[in-house]
Amino acid sequence: MDKILRIDMGADGGPKTSSVPLGQYAGFGGRAMTSAIVSKEVPPLCHPLGAENKLVIAPGLLSGTASAMSGRISVGGKSPLTGGIKEANSGGQPSQVLARLGYAAIVLEGKPKNDDLYKVFINKDGVKISVDNSLKMLPNYDLVAKMKAEYGDKISCISIGPAGEMRMASATVAFTDMELRPTRHAGRGGLGAVMGSKGVKAIVLDDTGMPMRAPKDPEKFKAANKRFVDGLKGHAVTGQGLPAYGTNVLTNILNEVGGYPTYNFKQGRFDGASKISGETQAETEKTRGANPTHGCHRGCVIQCSGTYNDKDGHYLTKQPEYETVWAHGGNCGISDLDKIAMMDFLDDNYGIDTIEMGATIAVAMDAGLAEFGDADAAIQMIHEVGKGTHLGRIFGGGAAATGKAYGVERVPVVKGQAMPAYDPRAVQGIGVTYATSPMGADHTAGYAVAQNVLKVGGDVNALKPEGQVELSRNLQIATAAIDSTGMCLFIAFAVLDQPDTFQALLDLLNSFYGMNLTGDGVTDLGKKVLSMERDFNARAGFTSKQDRLPEYFKSEKFAPHNVTFGVKDEDLDKVFNW
Amino acid sequence: MDIKDIESYPHIAFDMDGPLVSHFFLLLQQGVTIRSRTGCSVAAFLREEIGADGETIGKIQSVILDGSPVDDLESAVIKDGSVLALSAAMPGLVGATLRRGGTYSSFRSAITYHETQEKCVKGEGLIQIKIFNLLMAELGPGLLKKGVVIGSEDFILFTTGQSRDFWKVCRGITLDGKPLGAGELPDSARLSGKGQVFLSVSSDKAGA
Ligand code: SF4
Repeated sequence: MDKILRIDMGADGGPKTSSVPLGQYAGFGGRAMTSAIVSKEVPPLCHPLGAENKLVIAPGLLSGTASAMSGRISVGGKSPLTGGIKEANSGGQPSQVLARLGYAAIVLEGKPKNDDLYKVFINKDGVKISVDNSLKMLPNYDLVAKMKAEYGDKISCISIGPAGEMRMASATVAFTDMELRPTRHAGRGGLGAVMGSKGVKAIVLDDTGMPMRAPKDPEKFKAANKRFVDGLKGHAVTGQGLPAYGTNVLTNILNEVGGYPTYNFKQGRFDGASKISGETQAETEKTRGANPTHGCHRGCVIQCSGTYNDKDGHYLTKQPEYETVWAHGGNCGISDLDKIAMMDFLDDNYGIDTIEMGATIAVAMDAGLAEFGDADAAIQMIHEVGKGTHLGRIFGGGAAATGKAYGVERVPVVKGQAMPAYDPRAVQGIGVTYATSPMGADHTAGYAVAQNVLKVGGDVNALKPEGQVELSRNLQIATAAIDSTGMCLFIAFAVLDQPDTFQALLDLLNSFYGMNLTGDGVTDLGKKVLSMERDFNARAGFTSKQDRLPEYFKSEKFAPHNVTFGVKDEDLDKVFNW
Repeated sequence: MDIKDIESYPHIAFDMDGPLVSHFFLLLQQGVTIRSRTGCSVAAFLREEIGADGETIGKIQSVILDGSPVDDLESAVIKDGSVLALSAAMPGLVGATLRRGGTYSSFRSAITYHETQEKCVKGEGLIQIKIFNLLMAELGPGLLKKGVVIGSEDFILFTTGQSRDFWKVCRGITLDGKPLGAGELPDSARLSGKGQVFLSVSSDKAGA
């Protein structure tokens, strides 16, 4: 992983590739790599779909090694949805494969001079780019089937669906899983539209003949990996809760505490929650012969994912995640798991962010386009997006665009990006992260990680009101660092509680690269990433005014606790004071 | 629902053989009602009414009383009509936020449970209990064996939604002690006209 593949899609005479050394980007992986390249090379005021924007795809620092959990991949660029910098990350196989092929990043640059559609094939012999207009408007599943027929089943794919080709602001970049299905997505921020603007439909990877990346100190690396895996398996969340039920296990408890945004963020409880909970979902999957415990890439030992079969026992989609089930479920008043699973499949197939799409449907329902609870109408709205009808183009622009088009005030977005599945009035600390993350409303921005282990910024008195601001800051720093390793963020649950598991993670990095990273080094990396991202946004015209929740969160009381968002603006402005 | 009425609800008892007993556990997430002493702490309730030992209480990482996360199990008091939900450790920042007494509890201070009752009124009452995720298999068998009250319509929906495999492992059903066929369940559930049934489930593989 000592080179960057640059593909200039706008070069005279057609796309040109160059493989260049890492140079100033040495030591960066995942989010650190994407944000470094974007902040350094992309003019902040450029149009996100123009030639000056770049799409960066980067595996993590430990991707392609024997380390468990190391297969996340980051995608970065200037976001068509937020207008700021964006890193969206995904699971799937391509991270491991790209890293074994030796690439620390692929950078798509420039813009083709006509509307030809390209596919890129990368294997040990090099890179081939060819025009293939037969791929136009193919949904992701059909596209991958075609690539498999052409290149065999040892490949993995990075692709866009019709939404990306139509340059919709909610379009995703899809990554195939172990079964070569396009079920994993860098979903947030519309980076699929940036890939579409570059004219690239698919990047097909084949690492046949490439060895696993070798650590500098194999013995120490092996020992650290064992301690890391033991720590994950021994922890109640990563060893039991997530494998048994997946992330949707959160539905019941969020609903119980009244923090489950329902009917477009109008109330915190949904009557149908138990019908769509992770517990019900896992039982349904087992009864239908599907698998509720499955990894999204080889080397995952937590296995929070699974497969979902229809009533006849045929594969319908991967196990929908909590955010998807909420976005299409409670947020739209829908309590039919089969219909929600169908929407998950359609989102994956058309290449649309499930959170943005669900939030958009709920805003459309609030506008009177359909009744809350009407699952068939919701499914139809997704088809409108996939087909690119006039209405679908509005929906594909996301919740904010739909709210504007239909004159809806209650639009739950920050920096133009829809909020995920936790209401910031009930869990106010997460509202701080929604408001201030450079990414827009994002639940993973300050997801978790051992504040108590890292002691980022010293000990925090969590009982003081300002403790929420400090905690959010620390979490955002730590998350930015974890996103740079290529580790799945779900390791955070074990790292949060078990200092030895955190140390094992550091030992993995240190024995692989022969370095001496400490907790402080991790903190510095996280701060560096956030600083680059904030700097980009400032140069793109963002001010503290963008670090706010929509006004109605401060005035509309949220049942059942009847609370409003109470963190003061001046406290929000302190999040990045370090 | 009145505590005095419980005796008059139809008592439907299932005898199960095999792993599909776990299907009953799904009823627990919607909430079931039990008769219990009141005026005691949540900790005492868990130990004495639910039968949770120290190890199990350690696994109960989130306790929600009347919709609010509880940090201190000793000071929160169970009252007649309380709704108590129990969960194992949950993923993500919000999962960590909802843990009792956790590092991130300040994130949800707007909804945290604060006990207002200064003097405990000891007595007996009806408590609705909801059990989520990994705790279902841990606490479900004991609760279901003792018997729980659920709404007749929920019960009918539950039984009519079961597959043939479920009925294959059902060894027997009784209504107030008398054998009953599966087809007769909807009518029997509506018997009392009070909209509730008293359900108990026994199984030799209860934890499966
Ligand atoms: S825990 Fe889940 S998201 Fe993370 S790598 Fe495993 S399957 Fe993928």
